[in-house]
Parts: sequence; structure tokens; C-alpha cells
Amino acid sequence: MPAPALHVRNLRVTSREDRVLLEVPQLSVDAGASVALRGASGAGKSTLLHVLSGLVRPEAGQVIWGGQDIAALSEDARARFRRETLGLVFQDCQLFEELSALGNAALASAFAPAAERARLRRSAAGWLAALGLGEAGPRPVDSFSGGERQRIAVARALAASPPVILADEPTAALDRANADALGADLVALAAEGGRTLIAVTHDAALAARLGRQITLADGRIVEDSDG
Amino acid sequence: MADLWAALSPGWQDLLLALLLVAPGLLAGLLVLRGLRPLPLAGAMLRRFAVVNALFVLLIAVSVGLGVGLLAQERGLRQGSARAADKFDLIVAAPGSEVTAMLAAVYLQPSDMALVSGAQFAEIAAAEGVEFAAPIAFGDSHQGAPVVGTTAAFVTHLAGPLAEGRLFAAATEAVAGAFAPVAVGDSFTPAHGQGPAAGEEEGAEGGAHGDFAYVVTGRMAPTGSPWDRALLVPVEAVWEVHGLANGHAPDDPRIGPPFVPELMPGTPAVLVRATELWGNYALKSRFTRSDLMAFFPGTVLAQLHGLMREVRAAMSLMAVLTQVLVTLSVLIGLMILVRLIARSLALLRAIGAPLRFVFAVVWAYSAALIAAGAGLGLALGWVAARVISGVITARTDVLVSATPGWAEVHLVAGFVSLTLLMALLPAWLAIRRPLLTDLRG
Repeated sequence: MPAPALHVRNLRVTSREDRVLLEVPQLSVDAGASVALRGASGAGKSTLLHVLSGLVRPEAGQVIWGGQDIAALSEDARARFRRETLGLVFQDCQLFEELSALGNAALASAFAPAAERARLRRSAAGWLAALGLGEAGPRPVDSFSGGERQRIAVARALAASPPVILADEPTAALDRANADALGADLVALAAEGGRTLIAVTHDAALAARLGRQITLADGRIVEDSDG
Repeated sequence: MADLWAALSPGWQDLLLALLLVAPGLLAGLLVLRGLRPLPLAGAMLRRFAVVNALFVLLIAVSVGLGVGLLAQERGLRQGSARAADKFDLIVAAPGSEVTAMLAAVYLQPSDMALVSGAQFAEIAAAEGVEFAAPIAFGDSHQGAPVVGTTAAFVTHLAGPLAEGRLFAAATEAVAGAFAPVAVGDSFTPAHGQGPAAGEEEGAEGGAHGDFAYVVTGRMAPTGSPWDRALLVPVEAVWEVHGLANGHAPDDPRIGPPFVPELMPGTPAVLVRATELWGNYALKSRFTRSDLMAFFPGTVLAQLHGLMREVRAAMSLMAVLTQVLVTLSVLIGLMILVRLIARSLALLRAIGAPLRFVFAVVWAYSAALIAAGAGLGLALGWVAARVISGVITARTDVLVSATPGWAEVHLVAGFVSLTLLMALLPAWLAIRRPLLTDLRG
């Protein structure tokens, strides 16, 4: 699937107390672009990422991926969109501790159609190998270091070959060396596949690897520049 | 439809009922799991909180086991008491309480009873259609085992061929019940009375029959009744040790019938066996009169069981109520457990798992706990029933063999089905939980 372009229009997310968490009149991201979302804590970066992934439905506005406004979709339809279009990487890996590395990387095979399961497992094994964990597939994930666990999470995000990768602080829990290595891999793997990569990050080194920097403050985009 | 059902054998009816009971739960499962493969993830969640899940399974198992054990025990007790009375076709005794007479003659429970006289016994023994009439004279004991005076024919009727030794052939010989506290070849002196107080006066004047001893010549095969702990002696000996005539002329060394009516001191009860089954009814009718009463122990027992029907109903209701409470506890427990796995479920939803799949994972997780608990409960109930049966058998000498049967299978099938259906609720609530909140843990 080719990477879809993103168009956000008149986006507005508020808290239960009606406080504005995010207000984005207009934002576009080209297909295959790489974008860093930056800003202080509470600026709205993660909220924007959650809206872009369909995990949060905005009170107003459109989030259009490849012509499809996911804000207007039902929960199940948004899940389908994520399944088919997005690869998500979370700050704290979010792994199933009782599954092996391969079981986690191929997690989507658990709910994929029968015809796709084998392909997903092969793909997951391939991504683990590409991320330096080729021999580690059968090992339980609790035996891995933090950096390795995040690589497993990246392999999981890539297993279904999604055209878009959304990452929330993917290197935040890693030491410098691991953060640099993972950041480099993430950017390279996204670029190789022509994928769109949008990453929330405080990590200046990772942000520097991405083509575009968007800075948020108080829920609004205050700076948007090419890297 | 009713005719078709009635035409089925009881076994088929039980099997079909079990299937009908479990069908709603299984059907729900088939619909929930159709085309999905949630078991690996459900298994991972079971392993993730293994201790909590094991405790939950244990809770279900103990509750199901209690219900199963209770029902099986009640039925085992009923069947055991009926089996113990099986050999007692017709009892004739002096007028009084049939229940008291039955408890005394069949279950060897100590009680004071008026006597059937020698003349009455002679009339009974000589009646048309009587295969044999055996006096049952109780009141003495040895080491807690009742000593019962009767005839050799009754011993054979009660237990068939002896397991060991031979029948008594003299007034000083005895045959031991299968589990009586004596061995073949032992001698024992009977004591007045039965029960815990018996023999307390032993040594004192009038306590033990110190000048009289029996030699055990044989041992009966087990009967599954209190007679297994009894010591059976010639009825003549019971009369003699109490200083009474022994039913025969002084120079007559024989034991056993016929007895001389004038020399027979009387007996609390007479077991009568008719030559034909229907003859028992005629004999019952004949000896039900102002100076005698005749009754079928089986009928009296059935009446007692009938009286106990209310107790049985209450026990069944308790078992069902317990299961309902357990079912509600299971439901609440599942909701709590779902909170434990909420983050994993949120991850699944975040990476695009269909809601139906997440629903299936939660249901499969719940179903595994329920099935494991119910299966373990059935096993626990079986063990509990066996243990309690053993205790009751040891205490009453009535062989109680309580093993779970179809009634218990139906109880468990209904419980499993109901809880599998109720497990749909926590599964539904799980997919309604706030995704982002759960994802953040």
C-alpha cells in the first residue's frame, strides 16, 4: 500500500473540563515524509499523535489520511484503519510479557485472517533479524534489555508493512547509545519503504534525523520547519 | 415430543439433558470464537496472572465441589440405607412404632421393644407361604458390636455363604459380621445393652454375662449394612444367658427352629421370608392385627425418605443457591480480572485488533477459568463424596457409596453454561473501557 498523505483541518480536542488540549487549524504531511513532533510536556504532542492514529476522536475537525477522514469513522473502522495503515511504537514498548519476541512482533497475526497469518509471522521474523534480533525470536521478552524490547516493539509496528509509522517517544526509555541506534534504524527502515514517519520526541538527536520539525505549545503548532 | 422423550432410555434422557443444559454456553462460545484464534493470547493472560487466576479457579472448584458433593452424598445415603434393608422382606413385631422396629431390627439401633411370644412365633413360622421365619433378638453387645440372636438360616439369607469358617452349630458358637471386632477362633463374653454405655457395668453384678462365652466359628461376607459389625449367635444362647428357657426341651441339645412355644421366651422381631414374592403381601395382611404388626422395611424406609423429601429439596435448593452465589461471584471476579488485563487489551485495540477479537480474548480467558474451575470442582466433589461416604460408612456401618452421577453432571453443565453466558458481560464491558486510559496503565 503506498503511503497516504495526511491533511488535518480545524482540529480541536478538549478535556472533560472543556480545556483546549489541541487546536490545529491546518496541517499537511506529504506521503513518505518524516516528521518530529516536539514541544514541552503538556504541549499536545502525544494528543496530536493519538488523534492522528484514531485512538482519540476529536471534538471537531477532520483527520484525513489518503482521502479518508478517520475522525468520522466508527471505533471498529478506526481499528481497521490502524491495522491496515499504521504501525505504532509506544514509549514503554507495551509487550506481552508471556509471549516470545516473535510472538510479540507477530502479534497482529493473532487477529489477522488465516491466509495472512503465516506471511505476518515471516515478516515479523524478518524485521527482528533486520533489527539485530534474528536469533532471539523464541526467547521470552522478559529476558531482553530495554533497547532490545523497543526493537521488538518496532518489529511489531513494521510486521504488517504499514505505510505509516507513528511513534511516541520511541527512544525516551533508552540510554544514549541505544537511543541513537534505534533512532537510526527507525528512520532508515521508514525511508527504505517510503513510509511516512511521525514521531513525538524530546530526543534532539532523533528529531535531527527527521525531515520536518513541528513544535507545539499549549496545544497549538507554534513552529513548523524542514529539518 | 413428550412421547418421544418418554421413549428414550434414562441414560439417553440424562445425556440429552446435560447437552441441552450446556448447549447455550457452548453455542455462545461458538458464535464468539467463530473464525478467530484468541486462545494463544488468552493463554498468555492466564500465565501473566497465574496465581490470581489459580485462586479464582480454586474458588470456583471448591464451590462446584461442595454442590456436587452435597447432592451425591444425599443420594448415596438414600441408596445405602435402602440397600441395607434389602434382605429384610417382611418384619413382624409386637404392635408399636414401625420406624422403631425397623431401626432396631434392620439397622440394629438399640431400643426397647415388646416381644413376639412363642405362640405367635410358632403361628408365624407355620403360616402358609412362609419359607422361613427367623427370630431377631438383640440387646447384648461386645466391644460395641451388637450381639444378635437368630438362626443359621437367617445368617445365610443375610450374607450368603460365609467368607470364612462355618455357621454356628451350638449355643456357645457365634458367627461374626464381616467387620466385627473378633477373629474366627476368638472367644468373647457378651455384655448387657448396646451402644457406648454397654459393658460399662462389666465386672459389676449384672453387667457382663461373665459365666458365658461364645467361640467365633465363622465370618460373614460384607453386606453393606450395620450387620457387618454384629456378632450373630443362636437365639437360644441369648435366652439362656438371660436365665430364660431356650425354646427347646431341657434334654434337647438342638439349636434352631422349630421352637416349643411354651418354652420360647419371645423375640423383639421376626424376619419373615415368603416362598413367593406376592406371599409377603398376604403375610403382611395376615399378621397386621391387634396383637402383632407386620411391615415391609422398604416401605417404611420409603416413607422416611418421603418425609425427608423436604430436607432433600432444601439441600438441593441450597446447592443451587450456592451455585447462583458462586456464579455472581464469578461474574464480579471476572470483572476484576479484566481490569488486570486491561492494558494488554488496550494494546490489542491500539494496534488494530477488531473489537470482536478483543471480546473473544476476554471471553476465552473467562471460559478457560470457568471450565478449569468446573472440571476441578467435579473432581473435588467426587473426592469429597468418597471421603464423606467413608466417614458415614465407618460411623453407621451402612455402606454409603456416593459417586457423582447425572444429577451432578447436570448441575455442573447448568453452572458452566450460565457462567459462560454471563462471561459475555465482562467481555462486553472490556471493549467499552477507555482505550487511552488503559493503554497508559
